[in-house]
Amino acid sequence: MEKQIKQENEKTLKIEIFDPPMCCPTGICGPTVDQALINLNEMIASLQKEGIQIDRYQMTSNPHAFLSNPEVMKLVQEKQMAALPITVISNKVIKSGAYPTLEEINEVLGVK
Amino acid sequence: MERQFYFYSGKGGVGKTSMACIAAVRYADQGKKTLIVTTDPASNLADVFEQSIGHQITPIQGVANLWAMEIDPDRATEEYKDRALAPIRAAFPKEMVTVIEEQMSGPCTSEVAAFDRFTDFLDTSQPTEINFDIIIFDTAPTGHTLRLLELPFEWSQSIDLANQGSGQTCLGPAAAIQDSKLKYERAMHVLRDPSLTTFFFVLNPEAIAIKETQRAIAELKKLKIETFQIIINGIIPAHETENPLFGARAKMQSSYLQQIKTQLAYPSKEMFLLSGEIDGVKRLRQVAEIYFDNKNFEEEAQTSVKNPSVLKYDREIAIPHIVPNGHHRTLFFAGKGGVGKTVSSCITAVWLARQGYRTLLLTTDPAAHLGDVLDVPVGDSAQAVPGMPNLWAARIDPKSAADEYKARILDDARKRGRPEESIKVMAEELDSPCTEEMAAFDKFIDFASQSEWEVIVFDTAPTGHTLRLIELPMDWNQQLNIKVFASVDSTAADDVTKKRFNEVIAMMRDPHRSTFAYVMYPESTPILEAHRAVKELATVGIQPGLVVVNQLIPRESATTPYVKARRDMQEKYLGEIAQLFPIPMLQIPLQPSEIKGLAMLSKLGDQIFGKFERK
Repeated sequence: MEKQIKQENEKTLKIEIFDPPMCCPTGICGPTVDQALINLNEMIASLQKEGIQIDRYQMTSNPHAFLSNPEVMKLVQEKQMAALPITVISNKVIKSGAYPTLEEINEVLGVK
Repeated sequence: MERQFYFYSGKGGVGKTSMACIAAVRYADQGKKTLIVTTDPASNLADVFEQSIGHQITPIQGVANLWAMEIDPDRATEEYKDRALAPIRAAFPKEMVTVIEEQMSGPCTSEVAAFDRFTDFLDTSQPTEINFDIIIFDTAPTGHTLRLLELPFEWSQSIDLANQGSGQTCLGPAAAIQDSKLKYERAMHVLRDPSLTTFFFVLNPEAIAIKETQRAIAELKKLKIETFQIIINGIIPAHETENPLFGARAKMQSSYLQQIKTQLAYPSKEMFLLSGEIDGVKRLRQVAEIYFDNKNFEEEAQTSVKNPSVLKYDREIAIPHIVPNGHHRTLFFAGKGGVGKTVSSCITAVWLARQGYRTLLLTTDPAAHLGDVLDVPVGDSAQAVPGMPNLWAARIDPKSAADEYKARILDDARKRGRPEESIKVMAEELDSPCTEEMAAFDKFIDFASQSEWEVIVFDTAPTGHTLRLIELPMDWNQQLNIKVFASVDSTAADDVTKKRFNEVIAMMRDPHRSTFAYVMYPESTPILEAHRAVKELATVGIQPGLVVVNQLIPRESATTPYVKARRDMQEKYLGEIAQLFPIPMLQIPLQPSEIKGLAMLSKLGDQIFGKFERK
């Protein structure tokens, strides 16, 4: 029973990451490799394996994702570039200005 | 009949544009609605038709049913950016819009944009304003064209992989190019259909041109494109064999014509070397009669030389721009593909080595000819040239450079203990076409920053490609300046990269350390193209150092009216060159045979540069 509830929770859970502008989100197509972005990709892959939905948005390709989230737009208007990246879990901004760590995400998700 | 697509391909300078234009005029005169499009960044359609054309479908004056368009890569990039930026401009703060705009000025975007515009024409599912019967593509020189045509495959792959994986690709997020994916698939379908598409390869009867054509055809066959025709251009007319120089060249040509028959067994047609040029509609129609209707080859009008007095030959003042002067020197040979950049750089490098300078000869041309001219194999790393002390040679192959770059990054990832799955995703991402461009440039800087060479001679790629390659550091600098999200350890790496780029840029701008030599034939189109290249480089602070005029007919060889007419035409253009390029000029005389081998290169070096006292 408990397990089932947990699964239900995870199904409705949605993590959204609003990226800063970049050439490629994997961090490996520029003149140097961006290790932080590769770490992020690995984290995303491991969370996806657990059945958690994660979407990443970029301003050039998904401007509407930014526009339709008032909290995100407010941060962007106020702090501009410094606001990004923004991480949103279940429509709540949990981090702004840097990518979250797995620990930070787990804390919000209530996972040990 | 369904709309036909004709591609004109071949090494630059073989008369590709002229042949494409002759055909275009002929089809239009037959009542077929014809469009001629160029994707060459250094287009010369406007020169041939003697009217401005530009980045839109333009009717050609004096020919009903004929339209032309020059796809301008810069304009295409702007249009592409505008489309992508429209929703962003409306909603985001101005500073952020600026940052995104700068991000989109990278080399990836312009490659994507130019290709995107190009495939629009192949998309037969879209209605067009004018219902063309025939679309002729006067494509960019071979190496570049092939990369352009190869793109759809790499792209479809990238897009598919991206959909399976992280949902992102280097070419722009996958979602944004989903519509385009269909368009690229349709484009490939058209290219492969023999009832719709024909590739015409224009070549001169010369060893390098034959090799190049075979290579290009093999590459296309790999992409399942198989409808080819051959146009052999520049054949010396039979009546000129009495002239010793042209007689010797005709003999050389006849063995190559035989070779073409056996090794390039496709439908073929021959075209004579004309004593005058092909420009203007009237002349195009006249030449179309020679080509299509086998009208007799008649004596053409002779050119009058206006200013023979401005002819100059500046060996003395050119040499200081070639030898090192207390600094290391890098010589860049720029110009349209096929005008003799490889030959010029080989002659110069061999001469420098013989004067005792440690010289590295380097090519960035994807279709490298360096090994053919030197007559020794040339590899990826600097290797001593046997029989020529002080001379080393290397070739930068963008594909193998990309493989090396990829291996380096993946090795590092493994050393950092990244999981195999992550490495797989990285490997897929690194398969993008942008990696090649980046890796080739990385290699270029590696060689340029080696201190053991007193002189580096760069046999650069054709003009448009060269400019993009050289402009790369500027673009990347812009990107690096605004990389606000970098992690700590990559900020340090960025600083190193940026320093490297800045050093290369400073070197290219310093006339004491770098010389840009523009190679051309004494003919209208190559001169205009070189002049455009000079102007474009001037905008990034790079000044021209030398002009090299190749295939100049020696005055003493102009013994028959036909050869004299060609020599007169050349002299007229020598005058134009002197006016357009107020810098020292070097001249390479037309040879009875191909320029090949160290002995011939040495002899020519002595003839061109003369004696020199090394201080």
